[in-house]
Amino acid sequence: ESLFIKRDEFDERVQEILIESDVSFESAERIVEMLKNREKKLSRKISYDDIKSNLRSVLYDVLSQAKSDLDLLNVDKKPYVILFIGINGTGKTTTIGKIASYLKNNNKKVVIAAGDTFRAGAIEQISIIGEKTGTEVIKHDFGSDPASVAYDAIEHARARRIDYVLIDSAGRMQTNKNLLSEMKKIKRVARPDLTLLVLDGMIGNDAIEQAKTFMNEINFDGVVLTKLDTDARGGAVISVAMEIKKPIMFVGVGQGLNDIMRFDPDWYLDKIFSS
Amino acid sequence: MVLENLSSSLKDVFKKISGSSYIDKETIKEVSKDIQRALLKADVNVKLVISLTNRLQERAATEKPPAGMSEQDFILKIIYEELLSILGEESRIELKPQTIMLVGLYGNGKTTTAGKLARFFIKKGLSVGLIAADVHRPGAYEQLEQISKQVNSLFYGEKNEKDPVKIIKNGLDRLGDAKVKIIDTSGRDSLDDELIDEIKRIKNEIKPDEVLYVVDATLGQQVGPQAKVLNDAVSISGVIITKMDGTGKGGGALSAVAEIKSPVYFIGTGEHMEDFEVFNPRKFLSRLLGM
Ligand SMILES: Nc1nc2c(ncn2[C@@H]2O[C@H](COP(=O)(O)OP(=O)(O)OP(=O)(O)O)[C@@H](O)[C@H]2O)c(=O)[nH]1
Ligand SMILES: Nc1nc2c(ncn2[C@@H]2O[C@H](COP(=O)(O)OP(=O)(O)OP(=O)(O)O)[C@@H](O)[C@H]2O)c(=O)[nH]1
Ligand SMILES: [K+]
Ligand SMILES: [Mg+2]
Ligand SMILES: [Mg+2]
Repeated sequence: ESLFIKRDEFDERVQEILIESDVSFESAERIVEMLKNREKKLSRKISYDDIKSNLRSVLYDVLSQAKSDLDLLNVDKKPYVILFIGINGTGKTTTIGKIASYLKNNNKKVVIAAGDTFRAGAIEQISIIGEKTGTEVIKHDFGSDPASVAYDAIEHARARRIDYVLIDSAGRMQTNKNLLSEMKKIKRVARPDLTLLVLDGMIGNDAIEQAKTFMNEINFDGVVLTKLDTDARGGAVISVAMEIKKPIMFVGVGQGLNDIMRFDPDWYLDKIFSS
Repeated sequence: MVLENLSSSLKDVFKKISGSSYIDKETIKEVSKDIQRALLKADVNVKLVISLTNRLQERAATEKPPAGMSEQDFILKIIYEELLSILGEESRIELKPQTIMLVGLYGNGKTTTAGKLARFFIKKGLSVGLIAADVHRPGAYEQLEQISKQVNSLFYGEKNEKDPVKIIKNGLDRLGDAKVKIIDTSGRDSLDDELIDEIKRIKNEIKPDEVLYVVDATLGQQVGPQAKVLNDAVSISGVIITKMDGTGKGGGALSAVAEIKSPVYFIGTGEHMEDFEVFNPRKFLSRLLGM
């Protein structure tokens, strides 16, 4: 096997690897362009290793811009309100359990708003999570207005000097106008300090579509990418960083309460480059 | 011709071939690239895309277009046929007494689909019992119990039992009167050996008539490989594609079907129990190709 590679074949291969990792098609194309520009600066012939380290450093730059400097344990507002949004089944409720657990382990007071009043079993799911993490859950009846659940939870937190309010919401397709306007109302009423979009780690090119619509309709501050304990490569992280320019705050790495990490570009790149 | 209203990305492809009196190798190659682009944007697995366009190049080199058909229609016809051969013709789930088990990745829609399927069979006059065998996800029992009320089906579950096989055996027994029994299981992925072993054990001890794979249309490249592992473990007999009401194109799901080689029976088009349609391969392909 030759150490040196034909330019064209190589570009194709890099693009293929990126796409296989679920980086969106357009982002993959842009990364190949960025790589080419960087390699122009190299005078000698390009080896596999050069390209690998160049690709890694291009991706590192992209992802570093997506790093968040938020220190969740040291926020300057009380209660600090976090709203979780996203399409159906991405891992919002599970992530709330993980964050509640993390905050509680750091001696913070937390209350959860059972803002999914729609899906069957949702209130029971979040209640069980509340029990497991020793967190109080503010809930209304099935079918009631989620904005008022959020409002009550925030009032409750104010009255009892609780540090954090975590608001769950029902999964909703970004194509569903009614549900989006319901979400706008939740946001208007709760005025969250942080709104997190939760994306499934296995998502494909639709990541950009979802992120763009949620950004335009609701706006959010950062992304949580879940299910990265599977063989998902989570390329959505890269597309979101490039196209939406929002930080990746956390990644989910399992179904357990402790299976959450801060997003770390090096950890992520090791994961992609190992395969 | 079948494809009249192509997506703009595919339309550009055909500008390149229209006008040339025969399709030379170079043109086919170029066209293949553009078709690859369209399929990759729709999340079709990279390896599947490459094999599809290899087939296209092979067939375009050896087959002649039928009399009167333009070169571009011919290319389209080939790629459409290849895609359609993955999906197969429309096929219906049998309306008979049976046991159905649902399997799939975390959060793809199994529990919801259990309810939708129950509603479907009940409307066809077959009574249904739902069995809650997800012993891992918090609230899974309550979710299915509430869904069974929504669709008027029987329900069986055991809140504190951790062995799904026990629950299912008891359930099949207790719901003996129901014509169709539908088993909801936990979400799982190929890297979790324990969960893969669990589902194998369920399959071997229960021997359901149908093992249906529930897969989300917004997912990407890893769905195909994931489906392969699950199919090797429990041999899947059919597929249901969910979340088709979003903007996901379903290329990941298509790649899963290519691995599983089993018919797609239904699609999910929303969260409500009635958001459920019989699968139509042509409609699915039109959407995938952006037509
Ligand atoms: N393996 C793994 N599973 C996860 C992770 N995060 C969530 N899940 C699983 O994904 C499934 C869906 O999670 P939920 O938290 O209920 O998702 P949701 O977004 O709240 O879903 P809806 O409220 O129905 O929209 C559950 O089976 C979770 O256990 C993760 O990081 N890894
Ligand atoms: N928009 C939309 N949502 C759907 C569809 N099918 C299921 N859902 C939603 O997707 C989310 C996850 O569905 P579940 O049925 O809980 O998924 P599951 O596969 O049982 O999840 P786990 O048991 O955690 O693995 C819920 O919010 C459902 O309402 C669909 O076709 N369209
Ligand atoms: K099969
Ligand atoms: Mg939820
Ligand atoms: Mg379920």
